[in-house]
Amino acid sequence: MNKELEHSFVTNLEQNQNIVHKVCRIYTSDSDSHNDLFQEITIQLWKAYPKFRGDAKFSTWMYRVALNTAITLYRRSKRSIKTADLDTMNFKIKAEEYDDEVEQQLKLMYAAVKQLNDIEKALVFLYLEDKSYREIADTMGISEVNARVKMNRVKTKLKKILNP
Amino acid sequence: MDELELLKKDWKKQEDVLPRLSYKEIYKMILKKSSSIVRWIFIISILEFLLWASLDVVFRLNGMYSKVEKVDMGSFSLIASIVSYGILLYFITRFYINYKKIKVTDSAKVLMENIIKTRRTVKRYIWVNISFFALAMVATMSYALIFTETFQNNSVENQLPVWLVVVVTLLVTSMFIGIIALFYRVIYGIFTRRLKRNYGELKKLEI
Repeated sequence: MNKELEHSFVTNLEQNQNIVHKVCRIYTSDSDSHNDLFQEITIQLWKAYPKFRGDAKFSTWMYRVALNTAITLYRRSKRSIKTADLDTMNFKIKAEEYDDEVEQQLKLMYAAVKQLNDIEKALVFLYLEDKSYREIADTMGISEVNARVKMNRVKTKLKKILNP
Repeated sequence: MDELELLKKDWKKQEDVLPRLSYKEIYKMILKKSSSIVRWIFIISILEFLLWASLDVVFRLNGMYSKVEKVDMGSFSLIASIVSYGILLYFITRFYINYKKIKVTDSAKVLMENIIKTRRTVKRYIWVNISFFALAMVATMSYALIFTETFQNNSVENQLPVWLVVVVTLLVTSMFIGIIALFYRVIYGIFTRRLKRNYGELKKLEI
């Protein structure tokens, strides 16, 4: 692969790395696995990059590759540790911005999202990223109607986790 | 306020506390090797093809076939070899075509389908081989029992009872199949458990 391609890829990824970090946050619970997943997503993006034609935005294209890697390709080296402490640990909630009640609620929400399965996490992630149902459906390979139905079910599930 | 909306608002703020990698750090990452399941499935599949193809060679070198030829099954073994190499070639071609179809830029569902298909090709190859092996075992045994002189001309006291030969052969064959099946369940399970669960989750949405 030539240097020019490498340079344009790394520059693009450096500018848009937030997307990958956010996917890692949703799917991993500690910094080691976060870095592992980031590494694998980077490799997958790089492998697919020569076929990236620029007809879509680089960031849009990234969502798909990053989620596919997290859901399908990535092999977790260790069992992820599931404790509430760890789960909320990597979302730093800025206390000064919220009152205690809201802060507590947010913590619980992040912990609840971590309890969802891989597919549900992907839907929540795309939803949080303000993607349209059309885009969510395209990324996952399901129909728009099913994406809506599933999203509503996920919302209900989250409510149940929060208010058992 | 909807809880998810609240989360969405906070989610945007999270960007400020995300880690940030430098150009150099990202550059180093693209030089590393992938450890994705597709890579592992590829390596394991190639090993499986090699293993089964080399078993044939090992049998030949050990003179297994000359024993078979003694009992007048020379032409049978020749046909069997041609068929088994044909099968190998067919499966490798199929495997390669399926493998090439795996694209990380497809939708999640299509990607999962293609990975499962690729793996299924190799699994089929293994089952065809096992059936082939079992069939050959049974055929050789029946042939030896019914047609060969060794068995028919032996005096009664030297001869093992027919039922014992049958039972032992069946036992050995089924044990062999059992061990291989278990082995594949474990390997296959390790690599595809999560993939299958996620695929099932997506499939469920369509019903």
